[in-house]
Amino acid sequence: MANYFDELILAEIRKKNEAALGELYKTHYPMAVHLVCSNSGTEQEAKDIFQEAVIVFYERAQQPDFVLTCKIKTYLYAVCRRLWLKRLTERKRFDVSIPEAEAFDRMEEEMTEVVESEMNFQRMRDSLQALGEPCRTIIEDFYIRDFSMEIIREKFGYTSADNAKNQKYKCLQRLKKLFFGDRNVT
Amino acid sequence: MNEQREIMELLDRYVKGTLSEGEITEVENRMREDESFRALADEHILLTRNLQAYGRRNEMKTKLEALHADFQKPVVSLPVRGWKRYKTLSAVAASVAVVSIAATLWITQNLRSQQNSDYQELRRTVDKIQKSQSALEKNLTRKPVVAPQFAATGFLISAQGYVITSQHVISKADSVYIQNEKYGSLKAVVVHSDPLNDVSVLKIVTPVKIQSVPYTLSQTEAELAEGVYTLGFPREEVVFGEGSISSLTGYRANPNAYQVSVPVNPGNSGGPLLNNQGDLIGMITGVQTQTAGATFAIKSSVLKEILADSVLDSLQAPIRLPKTNMIRNANRIQQVKKLRECVFLVNVYKN
Repeated sequence: MANYFDELILAEIRKKNEAALGELYKTHYPMAVHLVCSNSGTEQEAKDIFQEAVIVFYERAQQPDFVLTCKIKTYLYAVCRRLWLKRLTERKRFDVSIPEAEAFDRMEEEMTEVVESEMNFQRMRDSLQALGEPCRTIIEDFYIRDFSMEIIREKFGYTSADNAKNQKYKCLQRLKKLFFGDRNVT
Repeated sequence: MNEQREIMELLDRYVKGTLSEGEITEVENRMREDESFRALADEHILLTRNLQAYGRRNEMKTKLEALHADFQKPVVSLPVRGWKRYKTLSAVAASVAVVSIAATLWITQNLRSQQNSDYQELRRTVDKIQKSQSALEKNLTRKPVVAPQFAATGFLISAQGYVITSQHVISKADSVYIQNEKYGSLKAVVVHSDPLNDVSVLKIVTPVKIQSVPYTLSQTEAELAEGVYTLGFPREEVVFGEGSISSLTGYRANPNAYQVSVPVNPGNSGGPLLNNQGDLIGMITGVQTQTAGATFAIKSSVLKEILADSVLDSLQAPIRLPKTNMIRNANRIQQVKKLRECVFLVNVYKN
């Protein structure tokens, strides 16, 4: 199904080639604008949705088990469509019908994953928001930016490594509560 | 709490992959055996993964924002409905239409003026002189004299004070003054006009004694290649020009005119055209601008007819045309010396 151009783009994206990413973005952006704008959305919303879709594709492409079973455009369309429908549902709009994408292998599973990871992302964002400072920065520094505890201690001016570790531990516990606690409720 | 913290740190290192092989086995064994430890570890790993995913996603988002900024406004957003959708397009179309209409008008205007300017009448516009004159007068602090609007040439045809010039020069004139070295400035009135042949007859009204005219109107048609000359006022001073008869017909094969190869300029209109014998054979009227050296002169036979006709409708007394050519045997210099006295600068005043 996938054509030569798509295979090339996928291969380059796996190598984390930014130019290929830009090409992918430019080629398919109008499709997303059309999809969202012809279904009561704005261009700004289209941009958000499309960027989500590109990120999903990018992440999936990095996974070794990922095989392109359809055109990139079909994949992006499916993701955009699903995400936009979800947004519309959140806005209590059920009267919209967006034409289905061409079906491809494991489409449903992919889409479920997409929606789930999107939800996880939003929950993490909200949790970190609720966590507040300095906990948020400490957690981000340690787990995302991969800073050592020594650097974090210096940065936040803790007198001892033990103090810093204690602080980080407390922050982590709170984050866990925020992140998983919410999930149990919903 | 310290124990819990130790566990977390161990798991951190496990997730980040900084444990030694021995420790990894230890952790994995404990996961299998200890139910509560396993739950703790699963939770921790899930959280860390999510945190990392969150981080990567944010990073990507920034990257894509930068990409997006690279190509602004790639598509026109669609929900614009109705005629607004074509607003830009129709604006473009309208401006194209306006431009092309303007261009067409301009081009056709140009064409028309080019056609008109194929034949140029040789009256001289006196704007420049007017300017310099008024500048001079300002210096002299005198009441400014109204400058003439057009200037051309005219010549005596009768000792009664009749002067011939081009009709286009004096058309719609308020007043006409003629001047030369001998007589100074004289007032003249238009007594007869023939727009078709571009000839006008003036009568000098200032009381002055006019001497007899030294040349005669040629009875016969000029020969091709015959040498001719003219005197005229393309500027304030009299200017001599010579050439020969190039064709026995005028502009667009007009049989009433000659084509001559005399260099002329605006202001030469109404100048006399004489041959080597001092016979008046014509009067300069215009040039063809697209052709080099094509000057046109109305034939003397036509002038004679007009003068005869004019008696009928406008003149009180018949014009007594000169009968003897007094410069027939003189050389060119002598001829011109005599001729100068009979050639006038015609100043035309108009509102």
